[in-house]
Amino acid sequence: MKIIHVVFVLLLAIAGITVFVWTSEVPNAATGIPHPEVAGLSLGGSGTDKLSAIGDAPYYFQILVILLAGSLLYMGVPAQRRDTLLKVVFAVGLLFALFVWAMLWGGYQSYLTTGETTVVFGFPAPTNWMFWGIWGSFVAFDLFYVFAFRRYFLHPDDEAAFEALVREMKTEENA
Amino acid sequence: MEEYRQPIILLFVAAYMGLCIWVGLWAMRRTKSAGDFFVAGRGLGPWVVSLAVFSSTLSGFGFVGGPGLVYATGLSSIWMAVCSALGFATGYFLIAKRIRMIAEVRNAMSLPDIVFARYGSEAARLLTAGTILLGVLGYLATQILAMGVVLQSILAGTEMFADISLLSSIVISSAVLIFYCVTGGIVASVYTDLVQGIVMIIAGALVVITAASVFDGGFAEATNILLANDGEDIMPFGTLGPMAALSWYFLFGLGLAGQPHVATKMMMNRNLSDNKAILPMTVFGYVIAAMLWVSVGIIMRALVLGDVAAPLAGADEAAPAFLSTYAHPILAGVVFAGLFAAIMSTADGFLNIGAAAIIHDIPKALRGRSLDNELFWARTATIILSLVAAAIALSSGQLIAILGAFGWGTFAAALVPVVLIGLNWKQASARAAVAAISISLLINFAIQIWQIQIPYAMSGGFIAMLTSMILFIAISMFEKEKKLPKDIDRILEL
Repeated sequence: MKIIHVVFVLLLAIAGITVFVWTSEVPNAATGIPHPEVAGLSLGGSGTDKLSAIGDAPYYFQILVILLAGSLLYMGVPAQRRDTLLKVVFAVGLLFALFVWAMLWGGYQSYLTTGETTVVFGFPAPTNWMFWGIWGSFVAFDLFYVFAFRRYFLHPDDEAAFEALVREMKTEENA
Repeated sequence: MEEYRQPIILLFVAAYMGLCIWVGLWAMRRTKSAGDFFVAGRGLGPWVVSLAVFSSTLSGFGFVGGPGLVYATGLSSIWMAVCSALGFATGYFLIAKRIRMIAEVRNAMSLPDIVFARYGSEAARLLTAGTILLGVLGYLATQILAMGVVLQSILAGTEMFADISLLSSIVISSAVLIFYCVTGGIVASVYTDLVQGIVMIIAGALVVITAASVFDGGFAEATNILLANDGEDIMPFGTLGPMAALSWYFLFGLGLAGQPHVATKMMMNRNLSDNKAILPMTVFGYVIAAMLWVSVGIIMRALVLGDVAAPLAGADEAAPAFLSTYAHPILAGVVFAGLFAAIMSTADGFLNIGAAAIIHDIPKALRGRSLDNELFWARTATIILSLVAAAIALSSGQLIAILGAFGWGTFAAALVPVVLIGLNWKQASARAAVAAISISLLINFAIQIWQIQIPYAMSGGFIAMLTSMILFIAISMFEKEKKLPKDIDRILEL
């Protein structure tokens, strides 16, 4: 299966969940409720009610988005450079991103159940997973780009091939 | 020092604008051709490109609208910011190298040039240029309006300019923007972006420190106030809920590489290998500046819900109210200069790509060649475009709203499949590109004009982008792969 087919299947699956959410019943406070006294400010209301009709659809939606993001990034590596090490790095990176997402969602669900949360570094634990985990899980890919730049993203052979192409095009243009 | 707050703020803003004018004059000497005007002769270093990319990504929205959204709806909108690491990764993994390569072998000056080189289709070039022009008008109008409103609020605080009108404020701020964009083109734009990026990073870092000291207990105290009053707002999805937040993550995370003012800057670096340094500098610059967005919004919401401060007249007052009450006058001056920097750095990028669409891309698509004396017409188009956008900003809120819909979401929906996938998949076809751009425009227009409410506050831009991506791949898969021109074929192998 080519990577573009994986991308296509993931997009269709995301579309499936989107259609499910679109056609589901919408609870009253699905997108918050206006603050009774402060104009222009909304309150969240019950998070449990928000999910009553769609359940864990957002959880599976984001899993698919993470896998889609990984697949697209993988497409950016030239086919001839996709070795086993690259596959391992991508697998580990995506597993880490999925782990972060699972921790975030699990922490949020726990808050919805108990109404309590731990405050770490000034913010609730699930929020920290969002601030640092969601951002950080793809910073890992950014750092991989930096450290593996010459091996995967601009291999010296590819750079030389491009320079040869530029020379060739200029020669043809001048001829 | 408190009594000099307004003069100090004015001094910083005036100094910043003076610097922009000086950069414009300096850049004019370096702008000798249309290539210099539009892509800086592809000779920029990594520092300049990285700061230009991040500062044009974070517009005035990040400094005013962002804190306002957090104040109004809690952390829902922060998903637009935490996706930045993914957004820049898609940009550099998937398009930065190939756009730069195609720009060099085809002497491309704009994103529509790249689209034409890839697909060999004048229709795809015309649609890309048309999308950019519509988006630019909407975005530019909102940025010009924002500049005018901010300048008016600063000047109104002084005795001398207490009664200044919005029109005068727009004229003054637009004049500075037009001056440096017309004289120095993209060279002035990216070098002012360099200054603007540095100002934004400093402003972001200092505001976080200030915000953390508003409550004795720091952010933890603010969090406890929010947990006691609502709770959902300080949890990861804010008051709008998970689907709104996650649809923004999709749109902003995967859509960043489709923003023409960002993608165009990827063809300006001197060396291909500079991308290795540009990506991390861009990511970290953005995240530091974006901390203002998070911290100011949270603190203002906690102050109001905790009955420490009076409710704001409007959500967009969050940042100005915070600065006028809690920031040291010098910090307020730096941040207001940073605010202008954020607005102008985005606006100048739009002026540049909009002018390119008018005098380079659309004529090429319609008559096979661009205008003669491109540099002259580029400067003329920049002035006309600014005046039209300013007129739209002043004339009709509804028109701005409609054109504003052609902002991020439309660029992402129309251009992500065509550029991001198309530059990495040889089978992608011209027909698919035309269909993807058309359907994305149609969906975005329909949602805006008919005010379609999408359940669970999912983003309309996300719906358009998802549809156009699926359509693009499906149509391409059903078509027979066509032979690409030799240079493009070889570049797609690298």
